[in-house]
Amino acid sequence: MSQVPDVIVVGAGVIGSAVAFELSKRSVRVLLLDEALPGRATSASAGGLWPIGEAIGLGCGVIYHAAQTGEASAGPASLPAVFRDFLAASNARFPQLAVELQDISGLDIEFSPGHGLLFLMFEERESEFVRGLAGSLPPSTRIDVLSADEVRRLEPALSPDLKGAALLSGEHQVNPMLLAEAFKRAAMRNGVHSRPDARVTGLRREGGRVTGVAVGDETISCGTVINAAGAWAGTLAATIGLDLPVFPVRGQIVLTETLPPLLHSCLSTSACYLSQKEHGEVLIGSTTERAGFDTSVTPAAIQSLCRGAMRAVPLLAQVMVKRCWAGLRPGTPDELPVLGPASGLTGYLNAAGGFRTGIVASPLTGEVVAQLATGERPTLPVEPFLMRRFE
Amino acid sequence: MTHCPLVIVGAGPAGLSAASTTAEAGIPTLLIDENPRIGGQIFRQPAAATDEAPDPQKAELFRRFQAAGSKIESRLGTTVWGLFPPGQLALLHDGQSALLRADNIILTPGAHEYVPPFPGWTLPGVMTPGAAQILVKSMNVSPGKRVLLAGTGPFLLVVAQTLHHAGTRVVGIIEMARRRESWRVLPGLLACPGLLKEGIGYLARLKRAGIPIHRGQVLVEARGDEQVQEAVFAPCNADGSPDRARSKSISVDAICVGYGFVPRVQLAQLAGCRLHFDDAQGGWRPATDENQQTSQTNVWSAGDGAGVAGALVAQLEGTLAGLAVARRLDALADAEFRARRQSIARRLARLRRFRAALDWLYRLRPALTDLAAPETVVCRCEEVTRAEVETAIDAGGVEYRTLKTMTRAGMGPCQGMMCGPALCRFLAARAGKPIERIGPPSVRPPIVPVGLGTLAEASALSARMGATS
Repeated sequence: MSQVPDVIVVGAGVIGSAVAFELSKRSVRVLLLDEALPGRATSASAGGLWPIGEAIGLGCGVIYHAAQTGEASAGPASLPAVFRDFLAASNARFPQLAVELQDISGLDIEFSPGHGLLFLMFEERESEFVRGLAGSLPPSTRIDVLSADEVRRLEPALSPDLKGAALLSGEHQVNPMLLAEAFKRAAMRNGVHSRPDARVTGLRREGGRVTGVAVGDETISCGTVINAAGAWAGTLAATIGLDLPVFPVRGQIVLTETLPPLLHSCLSTSACYLSQKEHGEVLIGSTTERAGFDTSVTPAAIQSLCRGAMRAVPLLAQVMVKRCWAGLRPGTPDELPVLGPASGLTGYLNAAGGFRTGIVASPLTGEVVAQLATGERPTLPVEPFLMRRFE
Repeated sequence: MTHCPLVIVGAGPAGLSAASTTAEAGIPTLLIDENPRIGGQIFRQPAAATDEAPDPQKAELFRRFQAAGSKIESRLGTTVWGLFPPGQLALLHDGQSALLRADNIILTPGAHEYVPPFPGWTLPGVMTPGAAQILVKSMNVSPGKRVLLAGTGPFLLVVAQTLHHAGTRVVGIIEMARRRESWRVLPGLLACPGLLKEGIGYLARLKRAGIPIHRGQVLVEARGDEQVQEAVFAPCNADGSPDRARSKSISVDAICVGYGFVPRVQLAQLAGCRLHFDDAQGGWRPATDENQQTSQTNVWSAGDGAGVAGALVAQLEGTLAGLAVARRLDALADAEFRARRQSIARRLARLRRFRAALDWLYRLRPALTDLAAPETVVCRCEEVTRAEVETAIDAGGVEYRTLKTMTRAGMGPCQGMMCGPALCRFLAARAGKPIERIGPPSVRPPIVPVGLGTLAEASALSARMGATS
């Protein structure tokens, strides 16, 4: 890049790529920097678009909660309504976004509307959890409680031991790696410059202003730096003494061989979630662990996920596991993202802390952060997600 | 969980030598191999007696192993599907999975054959020389009635002779290396006159059997409807680029194609061992020190899995790794360790001069990547063609990982074990990157598919399974 970039985006996962794409639509000169580190959350995501499900604790939330508390307790607490609404608004972008990204990047993000997200109930405490959810739902959403027979008519592969299930319609899935790649390619088509093997070693700061980044010995100056470094965002912020409480939260995943169509819905249980992806593999996730930047998979987690999957869909016992891996979610203390400026600092914006909703939140996160970078009024209020809430 | 002072993975020449060495030093040694018998690929034991002359090297290796006897527990028919650092191994035997913990691990997994994609390579009847060898030796099945061998390297000669002995008609050998190049490497080959003589012996026997060797030629296509019926080959230049105008064809019902070997590094990768790219030794291999120790202090690597160099080098490296572990466990005095290491190092140095000559003669030539036509399938699991791969590279899929996401090449059951090396070469050629910059394909457990029900079983990832020695 011959000129000084207006904006440097650090991190080309789904969030950084979405931000770069939105900036590229605003004719901003963008440099997108990335380094292929193991454990990037985008490549370990299930690709579930479960805005309401995640907000009310389905998916990983309920698994983590069950693992922590054992039985006899209601499920995890719901996230604040303001975040739930953010996710719902972001999720609503996908049908249109899939078309737009296909047009510009040529990549199909494999957006696939199914029946929705089913929370499976095997035990009384799970039914109790579902009954308690009614109050956390936004007005436009409903949760349908299905009997065992109704569930099995919808999903014949499910276990006969089911007591029933709760169905959230309108919760779909994408291919998260293709989504990130499509954002990035589309951004590049619009003129964003990308360096996929640039190890950003730190930020550069002069007083109250962030002036650029260091890539080894090289310093690159710019108007604004956007920290979209995923699980590494806290580490990056620390290079200028900024205390950004974003930390890696490991999630382990099991993937089966390619199977004929088996599941039409995404499934959430107290032991795992399952979704059959576009190419027939069933993805089984996921643990929620504080293990630093260790991306190992562990025998115990693999076993527990496989057991949970078999309990939900017994015939999975007969299929082969193709691979297991782990990713590092960018976690925050309150499970909400950190977006926008840091107090007392100019030339710097966070696009961090996507935790387990980075994929579904990416379209709107990209838009809002791009709006902040260009001085536009953001589509949705960013105040609840500012870093200063931790001060 | 079973806890072992030493586990050796792979019972080929390197693994057997390592196990003999540690057992001689009194170390309880657990030896694991996926095959039902010891010997590895090269010394695979036949299902029935053959009239093939007994190999003195194999006889000595087996004798030493048997003599070391009681300290070695062998678990055969057992696949290691995962390695969880620092020392947990996940095993699969008879549809049951189990974990064991090893203080020290010697990895001797050998290598698999390299076949660059070319038109017709997915036709039934096209196989690797190694596969043909298994058919003949283990199952007593002939790969065909008119068999052609093609590719490069001395293994083609070995398999041609095995097939011939088993009564299979071998119609010829297509060897990419050119005759005059053999003269150029003669000084190197003279480092080991015995081996040179052995090679000449192979050539003489093939000549007596009337099996022609077409040197300086490359197989460009396999043709047939349901099954391979015809092989097309052409003279090639030093880069391996064929002169298609001068191509010839020959009627066949089986072709065995192999262009040397790629080290099996998956377990070393899972162990966190640093890899090093070495084109002459098959590509990525674990970096090792003078005692075969990897970058992990509890993991050693020996044999073709540590860099392809053949059975003799494998035996010496295996012994060396065994000595190093024995020394580490204080089962061997330092003076003896040093003396034996020195003698091995001398022999290895001589063998490596010989190997360097062979490696140059039978090198992978750049034009091999170009044999595939645009519509040739490159990744067989996911049926991805060369054109699809190159379109994705041109569209910016210039990292292996991105290329996989964009095309699904390397995402099938073999996890890129078969197509990964070829994909990296396409990527290097098309994106103009040095191949070592692309990095080794990433590896995730299980390294072979394992049943989900198997993994879910109570004992699968905790308890001990029955010994099968």
